[in-house]
Amino acid sequence: MRSLRLAALAAALALLAGCAAPTAAPAAAQQRYEATFLTLFDTVTTILGYADSEDAFRQQAQAIHDELEVYHQLFDIYSDYEGVVNLKAVNDRAGVAPVQVSEPILDLLDFCLEAYERTGGRVNVAMGSVLSLWHDAREAALADPAAAALPDPAALAEAMEHTDLSRLVIDREASTVYLADPAMSLDVGAVAKGWAVEQVCRQAPAGLLVSVGGNVRATGPKPDGSDWVAGIENPDGGAFLATVAVRDGSVVTSGDYQRYFTVDGVRYHHILDPDTGAPARYWRSVTVLCPDSGLADALSTALFTLPLDEGQALLDGLDAEALWVDSDGGRFESPGFADSIQN
Amino acid sequence: MEHTMRLRFRRGDLLALALVLALAAALAFALAVQAAPAAATVQIYLDGRLAAELPLNRDTVYHADGRYHNTITIRDGTVAVTASDCPGGDCTRSGAVSAAGRSIVCLPNRMELRLVGGASDGVDVVVR
Repeated sequence: MRSLRLAALAAALALLAGCAAPTAAPAAAQQRYEATFLTLFDTVTTILGYADSEDAFRQQAQAIHDELEVYHQLFDIYSDYEGVVNLKAVNDRAGVAPVQVSEPILDLLDFCLEAYERTGGRVNVAMGSVLSLWHDAREAALADPAAAALPDPAALAEAMEHTDLSRLVIDREASTVYLADPAMSLDVGAVAKGWAVEQVCRQAPAGLLVSVGGNVRATGPKPDGSDWVAGIENPDGGAFLATVAVRDGSVVTSGDYQRYFTVDGVRYHHILDPDTGAPARYWRSVTVLCPDSGLADALSTALFTLPLDEGQALLDGLDAEALWVDSDGGRFESPGFADSIQN
Repeated sequence: MEHTMRLRFRRGDLLALALVLALAAALAFALAVQAAPAAATVQIYLDGRLAAELPLNRDTVYHADGRYHNTITIRDGTVAVTASDCPGGDCTRSGAVSAAGRSIVCLPNRMELRLVGGASDGVDVVVR
């Protein structure tokens, strides 16, 4: 008797469940998850993906975070970390002695030399001394907007004399890096995030979307085969400049509306023209689509410091497209950019 | 008698087990779907911890107090950081958001607000 009642109860419950069943998708459907980290590269890191369980996704996201954190510490020029020889240590020993570093630093700096060549010198990681003057001015301005002031022109001119990338000496055999100019310093901010994202994504599971600041890279389409969609922010707010499809490549934006301060109503942002040592004035926003996130990051910085024709000339021959927006709202696209637009 | 009862019990048990499993599977799916609420909800995280969950359809003001102080305003189905004492104030210039998946971050305050559930505009990530 007892067993029959149990069976009857189960049947009744099954009926109940049956009522709900028509709305149910196949049991194999994966859930979408999102993880955010606010402690890497002084920006926002977001990881999107689909997984069977929250635990499974959490593990994937944590693994990516942990790899990015290694790069974050290695490429940091402002902080020391216990047991880590990073670029700050290299800068601290400029003109003094070569510093033995780990493989990722050597690889990144090799990439920086390549980026310098490929962008005709528009991306120069040896501009650390110039960038740090602007950095300090920005920090002071944010702390006390009323006292906002530009860096001292004489100090800027002096710092500009110490930006010769050929004084960066990389010894692969000895695994050392040496800055032969004691007044020179490295700042890899224009390429490090994109490069780090690229390295991590090459090893990551398929079907993820990783965003570190303005650097977005996908490791393959969503489980249903569709592309990821990235909305490119309009500097003036409102509707996106464009929405682009990303399958296994990257999209990177450089803009004048991030990391800036204002003096006498003029905005001073963080992307410097390597010719003048002052913020580049051509564009409000430049977006680059390119398979390699490291190259995309370098290109978006380079294009930001160049007029349209010179920027387009840089893109020619590379597997990359761009969208430029100027301060009058003027909008320009490279010939193949429209192919990636998602409506 | 004793023997047949045991047989019947086993058969019934198996049937019940199968049906309960089917029910469990259906329930599990229902719960999983609930994990992303159907109604748009604003989740507010401070230092990675969920500090508040607020419905997007009820106008309210929430104060996210961490290292700094963000005033988060929900109005007419959108949410924005409307005031902040953080350096730079990037969060207050992020505008108002309303689509599922969109977020606003205040890095200095280690605050993230994220919209879950509700209508999506098909954009997975914002590049800025």
